Amino acid sequence: MNTGSSNTNSPVIIIKDVSKSFGENHVLTGFNLTVNKGENVVVLGRSGTGKSVLIKCIVRLVDADRGSIQVLGTDIPSLKRDALDAMRSKIGFLFQSSALYDSMTVGENLEFPLRRHRKKNMHYDVNKLVSDALESVGLNGTQKMSPAELSGGMRKRIGIARTLILNPEVMLYDEPTTGLDPVTAREINHLILDVQEKFNTSSIIISHDMNCARMTANRIVVLIGGKCYAEGTYAELKQSQDKNVKQFFD
Amino acid sequence: MENVFTRPIRNFLNEAGEISMFSWRFLKEGFKPPYEYGELLRQSFEIGYRSIPLVAFTAFIMGLVITIQSHPALEVFGAESWLPSIVSESLVREITPVITALICAGKVGSSIGAEIGSMKVTEQIDAMEVSGTNPFKFLVATRVLSTTLMLPLLVIFGDVVALYGGYLGVNMKGVTSMHLFWTQVFNKLTFGDVFPSVIKSVFFGFVIGIIGSYKGYTTTNGTEGVGRSANAAVVISSFVIFIVDLLAAQIADLLHLT
Repeated sequence: MNTGSSNTNSPVIIIKDVSKSFGENHVLTGFNLTVNKGENVVVLGRSGTGKSVLIKCIVRLVDADRGSIQVLGTDIPSLKRDALDAMRSKIGFLFQSSALYDSMTVGENLEFPLRRHRKKNMHYDVNKLVSDALESVGLNGTQKMSPAELSGGMRKRIGIARTLILNPEVMLYDEPTTGLDPVTAREINHLILDVQEKFNTSSIIISHDMNCARMTANRIVVLIGGKCYAEGTYAELKQSQDKNVKQFFD
Repeated sequence: MENVFTRPIRNFLNEAGEISMFSWRFLKEGFKPPYEYGELLRQSFEIGYRSIPLVAFTAFIMGLVITIQSHPALEVFGAESWLPSIVSESLVREITPVITALICAGKVGSSIGAEIGSMKVTEQIDAMEVSGTNPFKFLVATRVLSTTLMLPLLVIFGDVVALYGGYLGVNMKGVTSMHLFWTQVFNKLTFGDVFPSVIKSVFFGFVIGIIGSYKGYTTTNGTEGVGRSANAAVVISSFVIFIVDLLAAQIADLLHLT
């Protein structure tokens, strides 16, 4: 269980009454969530319940139909393109498929966001930043490799390193352990905890892997029917007698 | 019963409308800073330089075959000496631009559709978006600009190679000096032959880039969708190339460039 402390007085992400529908499919129906500084919140839910849509709304990959989303005090839906890009540099996003650029080497994958966001102040050593980011995920020396040469676990680590290179304050993980063997999944869970500790990030982790939830969460939110159905620590929710919550722990 | 007839028409009009909107977005966003010079150069190299061998081979064969096949018809009228001028005109005005464009639609259009399509289904485009890069400018605008700039250059290169093929074709049935051949070619070819051919190549290049990118950018249904996008990019752009060619011939006629 994650016993890392968080500052409950300092909310970093505030999601209020967010709704999103795709035609007749109402995915989110008034979802509310607050994530505090340094806190890891796991959003649990069955497949197709809108977990990924939720974090895509936070970075505006998907526009919410209604409600407000604030990240680091900034109202995300009202941002113009340039301001949104600047805000996105403070948010790390690990995709379910890792989404490494196939046409680039590992090193180029890491340099890509760096060069885009820090063009005007090129007073830093790109190679050092890349090797530091890779070091932090235990994969220094893979700079010249292509994504096709990496295993699933390595791809996830490189995906995390690519987000860490910009020193994000917020991390969004979309199913970080899906498709990995139990040992590699555990390593990724430890890495999520390391990132929280070293970089003091606040994170939302989308998952239906109970081991991931148990190890990484300061708090768990159960998403059912497009709403926050239940909320608490792993231990609290495990004691719940509600059959909808219990089904995740049985 | 009504749907059987109306649905394909509606789908065709929808697709045409969406491609038009996509082209409009390119015109709106493609020329605004920040410019992706590095990616534009890389794509121009991939699309232009790497297509040279295929274009050269095809153009050479075309020039040779057209000349060999035209020879007997002219021989009947004792007009063999007209062979260089007749062949050069048909090659430069029509055959090289259209065949080069069709070759590029197959090679470049399918590769753009498949590459962007696979990036779409593996969330790489989303990753680019959240890293603060406009994927439309980085992926689409650079590719469309590259095909638009490179195709006229490939066509001019193809013209030269095809005419050289024509020179060899002429010499297979007789002896004509290189100097005489090129003199006859340049005496016949005018600005009105070369200019419309280059201009329509610009539009052919635009069509290949925009349709390949559109099909890739709107890919759905995973890897199966990627294959479908690559295929549709070739089929639709080949079809539109013929439409543009027809329009170009009409416009050239109206402007007395024929």
